[in-house]
This record gives sequence, C-alpha cells and structure tokens, in this order.
Amino acid sequence: MPPTSRIPPLLQPFVRTPKNESLLLLTSTLDASANWLLTRFLCDALGSGQKDNDNGGAKNVVLVSWMRDYEFWRQEARKGSGLDLVGLRTQGRFAFVDGLSSLFLPADEDAADPQRPRSLPAAQPGVPSTKGLPTLPVRGPPGRTAPATAQAALRAPASHPGLYALSSTSIDQIKTAITAAIASLRPTTAAATRTLIILDNPDILLASVPGLTPAALTSFFLDLHTQATVSHVLVHLQSDLALLATTAEKPSPLQIAQQNLVVKTAHMSAKVLGVRVLDTGVARDVSGVLRVTANRESWAGIATLGEEEGGAVQAPEEAGSEVLYKVNGDGSVRVFERGADVAV
Amino acid sequence: MAFRKRNVALARSPAESPAAEAPSSPAFHPAPAAPTPGTRPSPIDGRPTTSTGTPSLDSILAGHAGLPLGSSILIGESGTTDYAGALLRFYAAEGVVQGHRVHVVGMGEVWGRELPGIAEEKDKRREGKERAEKMKIAWRYEGLGAHGSSRERGSPAPSTGDAAGEAAVFCHTFDLARRLTLPVGSAIDYIPIPRTTGSPFAEILKNLQKQIAKSPPGSIHRLVIPSLLSPALYPPGASHPSAVLPFLHGLRALLRKYPTGLTAVITLPLTLYPRSSGVVRWMEILSDGVFELSPFPYSHLESLATSAGTTKDEERPQGMFAAHKLPVFHERGGGGSTEGLGEDLAFTLSRRKFVVAKFSLPPLEGDTEAQEAAVREAAGNAMPRKQDLEF
Repeated sequence: MPPTSRIPPLLQPFVRTPKNESLLLLTSTLDASANWLLTRFLCDALGSGQKDNDNGGAKNVVLVSWMRDYEFWRQEARKGSGLDLVGLRTQGRFAFVDGLSSLFLPADEDAADPQRPRSLPAAQPGVPSTKGLPTLPVRGPPGRTAPATAQAALRAPASHPGLYALSSTSIDQIKTAITAAIASLRPTTAAATRTLIILDNPDILLASVPGLTPAALTSFFLDLHTQATVSHVLVHLQSDLALLATTAEKPSPLQIAQQNLVVKTAHMSAKVLGVRVLDTGVARDVSGVLRVTANRESWAGIATLGEEEGGAVQAPEEAGSEVLYKVNGDGSVRVFERGADVAV
Repeated sequence: MAFRKRNVALARSPAESPAAEAPSSPAFHPAPAAPTPGTRPSPIDGRPTTSTGTPSLDSILAGHAGLPLGSSILIGESGTTDYAGALLRFYAAEGVVQGHRVHVVGMGEVWGRELPGIAEEKDKRREGKERAEKMKIAWRYEGLGAHGSSRERGSPAPSTGDAAGEAAVFCHTFDLARRLTLPVGSAIDYIPIPRTTGSPFAEILKNLQKQIAKSPPGSIHRLVIPSLLSPALYPPGASHPSAVLPFLHGLRALLRKYPTGLTAVITLPLTLYPRSSGVVRWMEILSDGVFELSPFPYSHLESLATSAGTTKDEERPQGMFAAHKLPVFHERGGGGSTEGLGEDLAFTLSRRKFVVAKFSLPPLEGDTEAQEAAVREAAGNAMPRKQDLEF
C-alpha cells in the first residue's frame, strides 16, 4: 500500500501524525535544516485524502512560519512532495500565516503603489487595534516595536485566501491571526475535520522579543492545541548546541530560555523528531540523521510508530530509532537505515 | 529540442507556476527577459545569481556559481585580521563595476574610495600565459573543466550571449593595490549608524528600505555590512539579541521581498562574538550562508621560510576557510555531496585574488619542511638552506 509515492516508505511512519490528538516536536540545527521534513508532513496531511482509514483522515493544515516565506514553501512543496499549495489554499484546506515578511520589517509602502514611494517612515497607522492589546507586556527597545504592536495582526485575507501575515510579536495577536486562519479552513469531510498546525521556528520570538518567557510560548502551543478543530500541533524548534545552555559554562539568558523551551516542549510532545548532521562528519551521500523518540510516559495510550499493531509491545522504534536521509538536488529525499547499501 | 545548444543554461524564471498567482509577495517579478548586468542564471535551477566578486567564493556556493539573488552571507572572522574585509571590498567593487546599487552600513566615503580597481594589463598577460599552457593540452579536452576556469578568468557568461560583449563579464578581477574610480553620481549609498541609545537597526533598515523603494524596478542592490556589532561602529546596546536579531530577521524579510534584486554580505568579528554563543547562532540561522575565516597565527619564522623558498608557485595559505551553511542548499535540507562542505578549505589572499582551495600539504614537501623547521629550531637561525640539505 504505497500511500503517496512522494514519501519514501521508510519515512512514512515518521511523518504520520499519531492517531490521538497530540503535540509534536521537530528539532533541527543550523546545518541540518528540517524544511524537507516539514514539507513531507504537509504532504502526508494534505496529500492523501483518499486513505482515511489509514491516515486518520486527511487534515487541513495551517502553516505558521517565522523564518521562511510563502514562496519558499510553495516551491518546496511542489518540488518535493508534488503539492499544489495554491490550489489547496483556494480549496480551503491550507492556510499560511507569514511571520517573516512584516514581523520586524517596518510596514512599508506597497511596492505596487507608485504614488507614495517614499512616505514609509511616517506612515504608520497610529491607531492601536483594540482587541489585542497585550496582556503580556511584550516590549522591545523603544522605537522598534512601537509600530509593530500598534498594528492589527491580520491583513488582507480577502484578496489572498488563506494567506495571513503577522505584524506583531504579541502572543495574543499571533493567536488571533492563527485562529482566524483556522476558522477560514473548510472541513474536508464531515468525519475528519481535523487541523494540523505547523509552527515553524516560533523560537525566534523567544530570542528576539525581550520579556517573552518560554512558559508563555508553551502555553501558547497548548492554547492552540485546545482549539476545537485542532488535532495536532507540530512545533519546529532549533536545537543547536550553541543555543542550549548545557554547553556553555556561563549560559546567556538566551540559551537558558531556548533550552527551557525545547525541553518543555519535548516533554509535552508525544513524538520528538530530531534532525542533525552526522556525528562523524560530512559524508557525500548522507545529508543527516533523523531520530524519532516516542514519549509514552506522559501521554498514555499514544501509539506512535507502527500504529497498526495496536497497543502491543512495539519494535525497538518505540524507544527511539534513527534513519539516515539524503536530500537530493531535485528536492526528492531518500531515507535509509544506517549501514544500508546506499549505492542502490 | 534535440538541437538545443547543450551548454546554454535554461533561463527559467523561478516564478513560473501552474497558476498565475504569486499573490503573497506583490514585489515578486519574474526575472526580466533582458539579462541584467552582473547576473546570470544558476546552472542548477536557473535562479538568478550574481557574483560575489571573488571567483573561488562563487564556485563553492553549492554549485550555483554565484550568490543567488535574495540571499545573504555572513562571514565570521576570528582574530584581528581583515581578510573578510577584503572579501567585502571585492563584493562591493564588483557591484559598482556592474552598475548595481551598493549600500554600505556604517562606513564613510573613505571606505568607498578605497575599493579595489579592476586589474587589467597584468590579467591579460596572465591569460596569455595560461593560453600558452593550454596549448600543451590536447584540444579536445579544452572544453572540459572549463566551468571553473572560465569563471576564474571572468569569461562571458554563457547564457547572456556574446552580443552583450563587455557587459557580460560576470566576475571581474580586482587589484587591491589599485583604486576603483567610482562613476559619477553616488554609486555607493552610505547608510550611517545612528547614535541612539536604543537599537540603531530600525533606522538602518528603514533607510535601506527607502533606498530600495526609491530605485527603479529591476535594479540590483548589494548590501554591505562590515564588522557587524563591532564596538567601534555600533552602540553598546546593539549586540543585545533583541536588537540585532530583529534586524537580521527584518533583513531576511527584505531579501525575500526582493528575491531578484537584493543580496547582502555581512562580516562579523568572531573573537568578540564567538560562534558558541546563542546570539551568533541565531544570526547564522537568520543568514542564508555562513562562512568562517580562521587565519593562521602569524609566525615570523614561517614568513622567513617562505620568502627564502619562493620557488613554489602557490602561496602559502593564510588561514582556514569553513563553509557552515550555503544559500539555498541548506534551506532545502541538504548536507554533504557538495563542494566545500566537510572538506578542509584554506584561503589565500594576494593582491589580485582571494582564493579558497582545498587545504592539503603535499606529503613529501611537508615532511622536508617539517624537518627543516625542526633542525632550524634546534640549531638557531644559521642553518643551511634547502639546497644544502638536498644535495
């Protein structure tokens, strides 16, 4: 039963969201990025609508990306997994929340608007939106975040269906935007109106917004998860050693906060996927290592890998398994066991 | 189709997509049909690239043979040397020569006046010499391996066609000892660092944004940020994560907003901001390409040894060059299998070029030199030279 030819069979259990509603964590590092894996998640959730029994139903997806723009995801999804995000957006199955374009870049003139090309610095609408006045005091250095918080978090969903942009670092406003994005999705079938939320690098907020605590972020994840139609929340965080406090003898607040966030999220997650480079150095035919760890302690009854076997004692995968992967130039990916014949 | 010239890269614009859409970024235009000076499509996926001004740096950018437009490079350098500054100068000079708009953050006009000029007559001579050498090679192999070497000599980009002639040079050779004559008008835009107590970056970003918005569509911009966060240039609060990270995030957004019109090269003093710190790692994550220069410590003895034994052609490498992240390539998730990753690279800066090459010591020579050095150290400076040892 090859569900989707775009996902290698060995990778299938990794990108399959668990049956039960759960939080998932995906970590990556500087030189082993996990974007290819995120597009596989997209593919698995969006692409295989015909296999409801196996997949737990196709899901709607809200992708919130703080590091990459929509254009990147559109191309990667098309190249790597054959997904047409534009079509899915108009169908109401996919929504994208852009946390890159206008989060810290001061809202500017429209490039398409030639009338007022240089009026951008003073053209901030000074009207604060009433709904999202931060209960959480999110503050930046003076002069930087003042315009950002004064802006509505939503922008122009009418002209571009399924596209939202964040222009504020306030958790409340982000939540509002994501909720709006979720609400804009149309249920696919009556039975399976489940939504997967992918948060791509929310930790940049933690690093760059003073006053934001890891606890605020984790409760934000949980908040999203408790929304009615949301079944899974996949969080993508950076787990570089340099970002974690364990390696430094005098860790900076940034490192402490990041470690706090990663560890907390890992404990909350039903499944932790980690992408890293080979420990032994760079190899020609291996891009990196994908490790999955199932967390069965805190969330009883969550079967992760090999769900078909029911609750029986599962293969060693349960404790955690590793595979190697190689991302090819054309966007396809090959996943193989350690020591497998890579020349195939 | 079968008669298409095979060495012509297909100039696909990255915007071609099934639906006529791309509504997300209103500023996103497909690459113009007429070749913009100083750009050429990548041989891998056809996205427009521009030269960094350093041929060997172009060649290790994951096969794109240039810096993809809309991406940034962060070059960290440890120690007190300024090799990265030379790279920046080549990058800026290339931009000036190609008619791109160059924006320099935090430097005065002196910096612009000291940009290296184009190396000319010597270059011709060298080319002649190379051609003479090539005569020894059978003619049929001449075309092979020309990709790298043609880049080396700055030959016309294959796709732009010969009609463009002079304008089609992708990467010029610069001479650090010469001075570039800047064209009339302001070829370089100097963005000052505001002396504020808060974060200076919002102002810089706004300034840059204004400049780009002002320029005619289709123009290419290069952003040069020398020694970011250096205390000599930036106020003390700048290195706080909440100041510099939003700046780089905003810059990343700006680069994505102009995917065919903006590139950036940033240098960072690694001694002050080590790579093991969290801020620097975030800065690297926010950049598209990350390189690290680790110059060798200067040794008086070694410099004597090289000056005495100048028979060797190649210069002694001046430091190690590490590629931690490559534009486009890493974003897609790849590791391995590309030039420059996982190999020991060393750089050599001379008057005319910044060469990044594989670092290797020839075993035999290395051995004798090591012996020499050991003997010399044992017996002081008055040791016989190589000739005496060899015969």
